[in-house]
Amino acid sequence: MANEPDRMLRVYADLLDELRKRLVPRNVRVAPLVIAQDVADLARKVKHADVDMVVETAFATFALEDQSEHGVTPRLAIVRRNQRTYHTVFFTRKDSPVQKLEDLRGRTIVLQADRSTSAYAVPKAEIGRRGIRLVLAGQVAQSKASAFYLFAGAELNQAVWVLNGKGDAGAFNEIDWASLPAKMRAGLRIFHETPPLLRGLLSFRTGLDARTKAICEEVLLGLDKDPTGRAALDKAAGVTRMELLTSKDVADLAAWRVTLKGASR
Amino acid sequence: MRMGLGRRYAVYLSAFTLASITLALAAAGVIAFRQANILQSQIRAAVSTVQSTNEEERLRGTAQYLAGRLFNPLFGLDVERIDEEIAQVRRWLPIRDFLVTDPGHFIITDGTDAKLSFGDALDGVWPSADSGALLVTDAGGRRQVRFAIQSGGTLAGFAAVTFAEDPAQVGLRRIDEETSNLWARHRTSLLGLFLGALTLILLLGAATSAWLSRSLSRPLADMSQAAAAFSKGQHDHPLPTDSHDELGELARALRKMSEDVRNHEGALRDETARLRRAEAERSELMADLGRKNAELERFTYTVSHDLKGPLVTIQGFAGMVMADLGANVPKQVKNDLGRITAAAEKMQHLLTDLLELSRVGRIVNPVEVVSFSEIVADTVELLQGQLREKDVEVSVTPDLPRVRVDRKRMVEVLQNLLENAVKFGMPDRTPRVEIGLLRTEEHTFFVRDNGLGIDPAYTERIFNIFEKLDPKAEGTGVGLSLVMRIIEAHGGRVWSDSAGVGTGTTFFFTLGPSCWPGSDAATTS
Repeated sequence: MANEPDRMLRVYADLLDELRKRLVPRNVRVAPLVIAQDVADLARKVKHADVDMVVETAFATFALEDQSEHGVTPRLAIVRRNQRTYHTVFFTRKDSPVQKLEDLRGRTIVLQADRSTSAYAVPKAEIGRRGIRLVLAGQVAQSKASAFYLFAGAELNQAVWVLNGKGDAGAFNEIDWASLPAKMRAGLRIFHETPPLLRGLLSFRTGLDARTKAICEEVLLGLDKDPTGRAALDKAAGVTRMELLTSKDVADLAAWRVTLKGASR
Repeated sequence: MRMGLGRRYAVYLSAFTLASITLALAAAGVIAFRQANILQSQIRAAVSTVQSTNEEERLRGTAQYLAGRLFNPLFGLDVERIDEEIAQVRRWLPIRDFLVTDPGHFIITDGTDAKLSFGDALDGVWPSADSGALLVTDAGGRRQVRFAIQSGGTLAGFAAVTFAEDPAQVGLRRIDEETSNLWARHRTSLLGLFLGALTLILLLGAATSAWLSRSLSRPLADMSQAAAAFSKGQHDHPLPTDSHDELGELARALRKMSEDVRNHEGALRDETARLRRAEAERSELMADLGRKNAELERFTYTVSHDLKGPLVTIQGFAGMVMADLGANVPKQVKNDLGRITAAAEKMQHLLTDLLELSRVGRIVNPVEVVSFSEIVADTVELLQGQLREKDVEVSVTPDLPRVRVDRKRMVEVLQNLLENAVKFGMPDRTPRVEIGLLRTEEHTFFVRDNGLGIDPAYTERIFNIFEKLDPKAEGTGVGLSLVMRIIEAHGGRVWSDSAGVGTGTTFFFTLGPSCWPGSDAATTS
């Protein structure tokens, strides 16, 4: 899924070529890259076996699992820019009275957009785990324990909005926090951080035959072992390498799945 | 490499065509280039004038445009979009700083990633919040434009834009770049057109030149081939004589010349054959003559040699008769025996000279290279007694040249000529002999005396054998014949010259080319 399909097609083209070079000799045909409009569209494509392999965030993968009735199975962790996991940080103005998530009741948190994992799904779940329901700002809260949220569209805007008082807090991942202008960061304060979450997942369609799956895994795991493979991975939105999910990864994902599902209710 | 007439004409015409077209196209290119430069200058001047007169209005328009672009993102505090807008504006305006503030003049963004001025208050004078309000100030020597970002009475904030340089100059530079690019494309097109036209014209010119040169040079080439064939005797070689122009006339003249040459060749062949026949006859006659001469020489030798024996017998027996008779010999008998003995002696001399003369053609002495002065000295030494007796004065030209001759025979020549000079001297004058060389085209030796001289009527007869102008004179009359035989054997000739009796005589003789050192031919005697 992507907001800019043309850009995604462009950045993934080399990776697709590289896969074709390595898979075709092993009798695995490589179909063209598919960009889905949304999770529902992607779930349909999975059900119709139009897609065999999916690269997505954990949040989108969980949603896809739900909507495709477990049509995909995560197998590989995607390491981007040498970062295997990330986590969400909650921040507020330095002079704000907010000290913990529970202090957000009756206040407004500025999030990025509903497609974001670290700047929407995770914060929403993390807040929801504390029994605080998030309501879109402007709507009538069902209880006094609710908190409100706004979408600023970009991480930078989230920070500015918090600093300018349009919101009381914000949340995004620690990488975005590190890339904020120092002067902005100086006016803000982190008051909560979530456990780490895998940055990306590669899942196979559940019905895909085991031999093909095994060959694909072998090829994908070996891409970073030679220069052309590394270059193709790097061009694909900064992928450093792919790694097999460990049992701990699987357990963490299961926990996150429960958390996120709870948050979505 | 030899270039044919046709090809040469083709090259000349092609070169001329190419040069003409190149000059014409180059001139057109220069004119186009100058016109383009003039046009570029005029555009620049016009734009400069327009921009300088409307600067205020232009800045106002720019501010209104930016305010319109920035209102929505600033109102919604969408900093990322504001940054994108600033980045867009920076692409076409020379902006040094672009600061966007909230209504309270606190800086929201400067368009950079670092956002170092975020949250700072921007001091200074600000325009009113009216739409279109504009304030142009000086910021550190640079022009700064401040304007409100508002719409429909709602103020979103302010912007302060500092230009890195005069936007008008940037505009002019852009125009320069555009016109330069335009001109570069125009130049490329012109060059392409030039090359295309040049190639086309060159091809057409070459084809035309080739056709013209062929039509011109073909008859000339045909005639050249015909002339070459005529020179080899092939007079039937065809010629383009049916043409009615100058080339046709030339061909017909060539044909007539060929026929004349053929006729003359026939006559020449006949004459050559006749001359060859005559030469063969002459050679045969010469060979016959040579054979007869040789036979005659052998005969002369045999006769003179064989007659000597009986003559000695006659002389011997005449002497014995004289001795037998002793003192009682009658006077008449004694006189007769004396006459027999004298006649026998005379005959003895005649036979000796004749034998010597015959030897000139038969006996061969080795030739040697010797100074002629030495030959003269040998001769004078040989005749020293006679010369002293007659008190003869001999003068010799010094440094006479070296010659390759039969030295002995050449001494005989000088000996005979000197003896003649002594023999035929004038009684009343001291005999003088001069030996020298006339260095004319053909070197001529001479022996000149102041003796009796010769009647001019006899200057040739004196070389005949046994010819004596004065029967009473000593000798047999073989001497000058011998001189002639020896000189002729050396490839030369001899003659005499005298003004008449009492004027002295000069004998001249030459030597053949082989007698001069440096020649390979040998001389025989």
